[in-house]
Amino acid sequence: MIFVATGTQFPFDRLVRYLDEWVASNKADNKHSEAVFMQLGEGDYLPQHTQWKRFMGLEDYNEKIKQSSVFISHAGMGNIISAKDHGVPIIVINRQASLGEHRNDHQQEGLAWMAELEGVYTASTQEALYGLLDQRETLRAGKKSHDTSLTPLIDYLKSVL
Amino acid sequence: MWKKGKVLAVSSPGGHWVQLNKIGNKLEDQFLIIYASPRGQYKVAQQGERVVHNIMDASADSKIKLLPLALQLFWLILKERPATIMSTGAAPGVIAILLGKILGIKTIWIDSIANVQRLSRSGRMIQAYADIVLTQWPNLSDGEKILHKGSVL
Repeated sequence: MIFVATGTQFPFDRLVRYLDEWVASNKADNKHSEAVFMQLGEGDYLPQHTQWKRFMGLEDYNEKIKQSSVFISHAGMGNIISAKDHGVPIIVINRQASLGEHRNDHQQEGLAWMAELEGVYTASTQEALYGLLDQRETLRAGKKSHDTSLTPLIDYLKSVL
Repeated sequence: MWKKGKVLAVSSPGGHWVQLNKIGNKLEDQFLIIYASPRGQYKVAQQGERVVHNIMDASADSKIKLLPLALQLFWLILKERPATIMSTGAAPGVIAILLGKILGIKTIWIDSIANVQRLSRSGRMIQAYADIVLTQWPNLSDGEKILHKGSVL
């Protein structure tokens, strides 16, 4: 199952439509067909070819990530962290402020360094997303971290709290 | 007046909340962390020993909600009496830290890892008021006011 999440704050109809169209065009093709489940948020576009919910409780949400072969998301840090914690590769596609998908373009700016993270694959266009989807069996999750960056942050906080 | 070892951890939902949890989870062995975040349908959720207070969902784009959110946070701070207020962002954290400043509580701002090129908008707003401002990116530290001590990744 491919799990798609648009986040909680802004609609991201473009991502929903990309996936809906991808499923529709692959329906007859067994090699590429795979169930898709989408968390839509507040968008207007309702998928015709996949199951979906607007919002999910945290437990259901995490369960869907865990069950998925690939997690597709807006370029939000929360989902990148969750994908790694659950051992699932993630494809992120950035929101664009000019399309009303966010209040600024920090997701676009973030895409370059996100691509450096293990287990994170980035796409800024429909073609790039479809390209990654077609080779999704080759995508690998990031290794669980050993908190090499988190530990010094925690040690510092413990010293000042 | 403020309870030693007690931390009020505030954030908006989504990525800020995921980061706040990554940090809070590692502090819970030594500190009592009380969480506050907009939780939608949940009210005060008890997750094991953990307390999560539901607060209003407001952002800088919904200014009309900021005042009731401030009253809600003010009440929560008086009730919980934390020694420290900590936030990863965004608007609820800004308000909580301003209230902490007024009340003489130690405040810590941990800027979201999503902001790579400069501090988040809320981080820039709050940096003059928070006692400690941390960035998760070495290049955004100025070595004085904005410190880099590590990251959640």
